[in-house]
Amino acid sequence: MSDEQLSKMIERMAQTKGVNVSPELLKEAVKRVVTVLSESSMSAQAPAHKGLDPKRDYPLAQKRPDLVQTSTGLSLADITLDKVASGKIAFEDMKIRPETLEYQAQIAEACGRPQLANNIRRAAELTRLSDQRVLEVYESLRPYRSTKKEMLDIANELESKYQARICAALVREAAEVYEKRGRLRRE
Amino acid sequence: MNITEDIVREIILEVLREMEAGEQPAGSFKEGGTPLAIKEIGVARAGVAKNEVVIAVPPAFGTVMNKTIVGIPHQQVLREIIAGIEEEGLKARLVRIYRTADVAQISHEAAKLSGSGIGIGILSRGTTVIHQKDLKPLQNLELFSQSPLVDLEMFRAIGSNAAKYAKGESPRPLRVRNDPMARPRYQGLAALLHNKETQYVNPDKQAQEVTVQL
Amino acid sequence: MSKRQKRFEVLAQRPVNKDGFIKEWMEVGLVAMDSPNDPAPGIKIQNGKVVELDGKLREKFDMIDLWIADHSIDTSIAEKAMAIDSTQFARMLVDINVPRAEIVRLSVGLTPAKILDVLNKMNVVELMMAMQKMRPRRTPSNQAHVTNLKDHPALLAADAAEAAFRGFTEEETTVGVGRYAPMNALSLLVGAQTGCPGVINQCAVEEALELSMGMRGLTAYAETVSVYGTEQVFVDGDDTPWSKAYLASAYASRGLKMRYTSGTGSEVQMGYADGKSMLYLEIRCVMLAKGVGVQGVQNGSISCIGVPGSVPSGIRAVLAENVATVLLDLEVASGNDQTFTHSPIRNTARMLMQFLPGTDLIVSGYSSVPNYDNMFAGSTHDCDDYDDWLVLQRDLQIDGGLHPVKEADVIAIRNKGARALQAVFKEVGLPPITDEEVEAVTYAHGSKDVPDRNVTEDLRAIEDFMKRGGNGVDAVRALVKHGFRDVAEAVLGILKQKISGDYLHTSAILKPNFDVLSAVNDLNDYQGPGTGYRLEGKRWEILKDIPQAISPEDI
Repeated sequence: MSDEQLSKMIERMAQTKGVNVSPELLKEAVKRVVTVLSESSMSAQAPAHKGLDPKRDYPLAQKRPDLVQTSTGLSLADITLDKVASGKIAFEDMKIRPETLEYQAQIAEACGRPQLANNIRRAAELTRLSDQRVLEVYESLRPYRSTKKEMLDIANELESKYQARICAALVREAAEVYEKRGRLRRE
Repeated sequence: MNITEDIVREIILEVLREMEAGEQPAGSFKEGGTPLAIKEIGVARAGVAKNEVVIAVPPAFGTVMNKTIVGIPHQQVLREIIAGIEEEGLKARLVRIYRTADVAQISHEAAKLSGSGIGIGILSRGTTVIHQKDLKPLQNLELFSQSPLVDLEMFRAIGSNAAKYAKGESPRPLRVRNDPMARPRYQGLAALLHNKETQYVNPDKQAQEVTVQL
Repeated sequence: MSKRQKRFEVLAQRPVNKDGFIKEWMEVGLVAMDSPNDPAPGIKIQNGKVVELDGKLREKFDMIDLWIADHSIDTSIAEKAMAIDSTQFARMLVDINVPRAEIVRLSVGLTPAKILDVLNKMNVVELMMAMQKMRPRRTPSNQAHVTNLKDHPALLAADAAEAAFRGFTEEETTVGVGRYAPMNALSLLVGAQTGCPGVINQCAVEEALELSMGMRGLTAYAETVSVYGTEQVFVDGDDTPWSKAYLASAYASRGLKMRYTSGTGSEVQMGYADGKSMLYLEIRCVMLAKGVGVQGVQNGSISCIGVPGSVPSGIRAVLAENVATVLLDLEVASGNDQTFTHSPIRNTARMLMQFLPGTDLIVSGYSSVPNYDNMFAGSTHDCDDYDDWLVLQRDLQIDGGLHPVKEADVIAIRNKGARALQAVFKEVGLPPITDEEVEAVTYAHGSKDVPDRNVTEDLRAIEDFMKRGGNGVDAVRALVKHGFRDVAEAVLGILKQKISGDYLHTSAILKPNFDVLSAVNDLNDYQGPGTGYRLEGKRWEILKDIPQAISPEDI
């Protein structure tokens, strides 16, 4: 894809999604992701079956900076004051990515905190939702906001669109409980 | 043991006796006060008039309970709020909520019923919220959470500020009041009063339109 | 009485007699930790599922029972843990030969009524011993409230800078006027990073708004995500255990630390305690939090302290709820954050329960402003009590999280905090902070000493800022542009915490160089004298060196 094509596409997407950053910045971000993706598809992912060791690996920022990248593929060392000040790095570049949360979940598990690990894994799934969608789903889960069908639809969306299986299960469980306890929307 | 009004009254009197060791606290709980001349005229409907502000009160307001935690009669509370609304050229409409005694829910209900989208919720003890229908239940335009600090002058200003929001203006929010010693003095009592209030909640009863003789 | 005894006349005038006291009222749950309506402990498990909890059959479970049964209780250990006699379990809590890890392994098998029964066996000294052993992080710490009556941003920044400089590791603000929230959050962010890099900030408002400020990088963590012990009150709080669990994950998905808030007395305060004791309901909250997987809880009655504070054994119950939290291996921000008495004697006695054993955050928070400016309606201690706090640390050789400071340094740091925010306001299009305002807040005791702002203008501008997508990076850029590189670096450091997620772990705080200290790399290892956190060495030298002490060489 040519630079120009890329710019046009990004501009259009930025408009439709109401993203409030300059197309130039977005373009930079997309380029970085593309680079990182092509790099990381070569190098293997951290072996997931072999959990991290809290003593050896925590805190990740100090002991395993190699494992920490932003959602747009920057390392912590990449994010310097000058790059942020000059606009080369945007706020949108500074988001946690699901792999990092998975590492933290492994550390929580190794510390004997399975519930905390589970919460962090749900969080890893939610990184794929936009801020706005995260807030909307929260609103729908509050009492008397949704019908059972609406809740089940959200669960399906979480599962199919965002591969958020643990979160989907949570929403389905909620739908059952809300029905039983009379907390669905009253029509 | 059944909880009767007598028991509640006894306890309140007991509390007051103990509290009176300090300076005179809470006006005249003992006298009981006069119930409001309040009449229910049917299920409350969502209004369409853009020039109205809905005031919502909980189940025991003006009937079983007749004054705020610092002894301001409910009659005067309503008179001031309504006057505040009217001096801005708007109309007040009064409803009673039965399904909850929670001030956030009550005031949000008021806003949803209000043709202007602005509502006021007042608890019997005096806690008050100005709400807008588009906000979330636990948000608010203005919140007066420390019931012992809400006086008549404030009730009037609450009415007029609510009316200004209803007209689409951005009034200066009331000057916030804060008394760190209100909690030690009043919170136990507030809990007691609120438990009295919630005994009259009926989750299945719809909000009622009411008229009141002031 | 026609003629009063003179001593009684004097007693009647004492501060303690301005407090409200209430006799227990069991039917509605105005009772601290032992109601006849509390259930007896018990559990039945079939095929790995809890079918009966504390005498209630599964068909009758409310939302909170369901959550606890299905998410909180570890059914693989429950029968073994429940079989331990309550007195025996209470003894294990104070026995230095039973390590923390063993208790944590068993405690997830207990039911709410069982934990209540265990805690009821303990007096306050034993509860403090349990706290000393069980709190998750080895190093104790402290949190500040930073608020003012006028929501004055420059004053917030100056106060945030001073509080961070004095040693608080967390700062919490809230609002007088709700719509000020994002401006207050921004003011704290800039102020705190000026005072000491790494001090994290939060803004306590409605749940969804609070989360969206975190997403924008205006806050670094959240705490006032409230949970309750009865279903009716939970729903009145506009949530369910499921929506709150989702919210917990939503925070972590943006790399934001968070804890829940609950506390004895909230259910009866809101009128639906179902006749249960305040502590029983609070234990349900803590267990719910455990099952959700949040890393910690703020409790110790919090905004309802006037309720347990007015009934017998109420302050003991407040310590017991803190212990229930650490018993379940959760971070505890242990309250002490709201005025509950007119009596300075009662006030100090209540605070010692957490101060002496040390907790993750002893006061949550300590009013870094005069109490008239404290928009949480006053804390147990305010800025006028700083020297008392420092002397208590010195008297008892206890680390309460603060260190002595010099007046000139505080003046300088307050001034810098206000000027840094002035620069940010200028760049992001918020109504200007004048030099006169900077000067006033630098030397102010509280908001009475600073000029009023144009509130409507402020509100309109901050609404615009949020609509434009304003965020933490805007602050970084503004600070660099105006020469506050060190503050900018610190704000950026806070934003970067949300990339590594290291501070999502239990009891995490940040040290001034941004190293994280949590119950992973600083796990409490107390097992009696000679173990655990000891105030000694360099830190003790700093804490004991109060400026007002006379040195032999001075004479």
